[in-house]
Amino acid sequence: MEKNNCLQVNDLSIAFGGIKAIDHLSFTVNQGEIYGLIGPNGAGKTTVFNCITQFYKADHGDIQFSNRHGKVVNLNKKVTHQVIHEGLVRSFQNIELIKDMSLIDNLLVGAHIEYKSGIIATGFRTKKAKREEEMQREKAVKILKFLKIEDKANSHIGGQPYGVLKKVELGRTLMSDPKLILLDEPAAGLNDHETEDMSNLLKEIRDEYGCTILLVEHDMRLVMDVCDRICAISFGKKLGEGTCLEIQQNKDVQEAYLGKGD
Amino acid sequence: MRKSGEERREIDGSKRGGSDVNGIEKKEKGLKVIEKKPPYKAYLLFGLFLILLPTAQKMGLIGSATITVLGTVIFYAIVGIGMNVLLGYSGLISLGTAGFMGMGAYMSAYLTADLNLPFLLSIVVSVSIPLVIGLVIGLISLRLAGYYLAIATLAVSEIFRQVFIEFEAVTNGFSGKNAAYPKLFGIIQFDRQLTFIFMVAVLIGLMIFTYNFIHSRTGRALLTMRGSEAAAQAMGINLLRYKLTAFGIATAYAAIGGVLYVHFIRFAYPSGWNLMLSLQILAVIVIGGMQTIEGPILGSFIVFGVPELILKQLPVIGNVDGLAYVFTGVLIVVVIMFYPNGMIRLGNDIKKLWKKGRKHGKEQLPASE
Amino acid sequence: MSTFMQILFSSLETGSVYALASLGIIIIFQTSRMQNFAQGSVGMLNAFVATFFLMNTGVSPYFAAFVGMLSAFITGVLVDFVIMRNAKHVGAIGKEIITFGLIMFFLGIAPMIFGTSPLSFPRFIQHGTFEIMGASVTYNAVLNISVGLSLMTLLFLFLQKTKWGLAVRVTASNDKTAQLMGVPTKLITMGAWAVAASLGALSALMLAPAITVNVSMMDSVQISALVACVLGGFQTFYGPVIGAYIIGLSKNLLSFYVSSTWGEALMYLLILVFIIFRPNGLIGKKKIKKV
Repeated sequence: MEKNNCLQVNDLSIAFGGIKAIDHLSFTVNQGEIYGLIGPNGAGKTTVFNCITQFYKADHGDIQFSNRHGKVVNLNKKVTHQVIHEGLVRSFQNIELIKDMSLIDNLLVGAHIEYKSGIIATGFRTKKAKREEEMQREKAVKILKFLKIEDKANSHIGGQPYGVLKKVELGRTLMSDPKLILLDEPAAGLNDHETEDMSNLLKEIRDEYGCTILLVEHDMRLVMDVCDRICAISFGKKLGEGTCLEIQQNKDVQEAYLGKGD
Repeated sequence: MRKSGEERREIDGSKRGGSDVNGIEKKEKGLKVIEKKPPYKAYLLFGLFLILLPTAQKMGLIGSATITVLGTVIFYAIVGIGMNVLLGYSGLISLGTAGFMGMGAYMSAYLTADLNLPFLLSIVVSVSIPLVIGLVIGLISLRLAGYYLAIATLAVSEIFRQVFIEFEAVTNGFSGKNAAYPKLFGIIQFDRQLTFIFMVAVLIGLMIFTYNFIHSRTGRALLTMRGSEAAAQAMGINLLRYKLTAFGIATAYAAIGGVLYVHFIRFAYPSGWNLMLSLQILAVIVIGGMQTIEGPILGSFIVFGVPELILKQLPVIGNVDGLAYVFTGVLIVVVIMFYPNGMIRLGNDIKKLWKKGRKHGKEQLPASE
Repeated sequence: MSTFMQILFSSLETGSVYALASLGIIIIFQTSRMQNFAQGSVGMLNAFVATFFLMNTGVSPYFAAFVGMLSAFITGVLVDFVIMRNAKHVGAIGKEIITFGLIMFFLGIAPMIFGTSPLSFPRFIQHGTFEIMGASVTYNAVLNISVGLSLMTLLFLFLQKTKWGLAVRVTASNDKTAQLMGVPTKLITMGAWAVAASLGALSALMLAPAITVNVSMMDSVQISALVACVLGGFQTFYGPVIGAYIIGLSKNLLSFYVSSTWGEALMYLLILVFIIFRPNGLIGKKKIKKV
């Protein structure tokens, strides 16, 4: 793995009941870039995410990640809940936020691994536990402000508009000081204005927070607007990898999206 | 990402300051408002009220039997608070609660009466052993789908029942086991009144302890796990560990409840720790209100207090066998179907309705004129 | 050998009781995705109905059993119609808690109607035993075993061979799709509750002559039936039935050869150990969760 590489997926394959969802897929995400993973419906994009974050165990191939300490680790050797410790965090396609909790509490869940105090310390409200909580709350408020939803900090998630929910999910990923963020369709269900807002947020996250972003998206305007590089896949196979322009001109990609033109 | 305190202040103040001259103070408040203040005062006041009850009995305001019933309500409330961490916050069901309670009760009775161990040490041992057994059962069943815990604990409580009958050296079998009121530090001998007050202290202490850890990382992790296991895992929450934590809390509180039971009622009988008791404890939180600290207390009063204090006084039907079960059973079904947040929200909802009604009334007044 | 045969036959009989109860649980689990903890108590209540009817009319035990199963059928329909149908908004855990409420209700209502003293329900065939390989087996046991087995065979044939059976299986695999395809899922669910309740009543009545009809008669059956579902796996209809016979046999074997007091406890422990190694049961398959 080269020095400026952040994530390297090598020869990844996974099959469900004989059907190959991902077929010898390889791609590399560089440090500090926004990398888009695109493809028609059922191409296996979310499956790639699930393999990287260890929700699925790949049948074949490995996933090298340069973790928050700059050490290269093979993510396949990790259990699902350990992945975030390496500095890699994800969002979900169908928003996985907790309805009975407020916005800020949902964000605080993102900082779960940052806490050191356990049940006894928090139960007795030791000074250390209190300080820790205050620190994380301040961080959460800052992120809410960055996302421009701080006025809703104490509102419940239930009943919030889609645009807000997408932002909260994004905010939750930021809470763990991640190095790489995996976003599964960050613009799905957003209107034009909200999508533009999201594009700007993603760029700001890359530039100000210094995070690398790998995203899956159907909304091509967003992809073309924010992505530094793109990988297009179809039926689990790579069609092409390159800059937006290169992908737009790629014959295989055009075919996969528009069908064969005779 | 982490900026120094002062920088942070600037960022925070920039928006909230606005038109206010005293921008800095306002901003400080803005940060604090976000964390709700713990209701310690209300809990302590409630405790104070409970402590006054035995005195009220001495003054002849309430009957002696009422104190016994209220004592029952208190230790079942403790068991309920623990169970709520499991069911309310984690969405898991245990049907072994009565078994763990019974184990705590028998152990403490045996340790204090037969082995002459100090009361406080006996509490520690009588809670630790059920806790360890509970954790082993949890470790096996919680790796699987959530409903396996209910079945595993159901099977284990059958084993416990057999143990309570057969281990006569400890439990005294079918004749039942006697215990005394607690004796603290070997000198302070509690009477019924002091035991009652001691139980109130334990209840209030556990309410505060539970409130604290629920409104922290632990509680959030449990709620997240309940809402979305995928999100929980992605955020680094070890599912097995937190399910075990919740089950451990429920088990430990059940054992504490059992210890208090045996030193307040001063008697334990093997068939008392049956499935019906476990179900009644589930009813306590379902009826009282899940995901609250206060709910189980109200629930305990409804499930264990109301049948004894009110239903039994009713003419004709008061003497009918099974009335308490029917009452609780129907309440469970009705609450789950129509009022899933539990009775503890009743006061709030009535207030809301009242306000709405008044607003509505005011709006209509001009029209009617 | 003869002792073993004796145990084998008595296990077949208790196995049938457990199998009928666990079949009821799995039918409801498959169609409604919830555990019915009230399976045993529904059986208990309707065993009381059958016995009460028998005592007051003097009909044959067969007819009384039919009445008990019929009233159980109606109980099942009522439970679905009054409660479960109106609890669509309630999650699986909530529905299970509803069944806890039902247990308390049935256990409370039974002594109100039928009194607190246990009643006795006679064997279907009062007398007669025959010898087989050194074991003496009552005709009644043979009847119970064969009724249990043939009823289950009929149910499986119904599930596999008929149009309605297909509808049940489609509902089990995906109730939303089934509904879109025009399968009357409401009726299927109601039928599941009704059939499950009848099976519960029958298993209670098979058990009744041995232990009398009383409020706690089905406690151990309910537990064994649930554990049978764990052992056999919740994914198939036949897994729990196989689990039930295994439990019946191992309970009797352990009670006889190891310890009469600890046999049952030991069996539960062994099954707990078993699910460490085969978490999805004997017949279970692992399901991939979609994220």
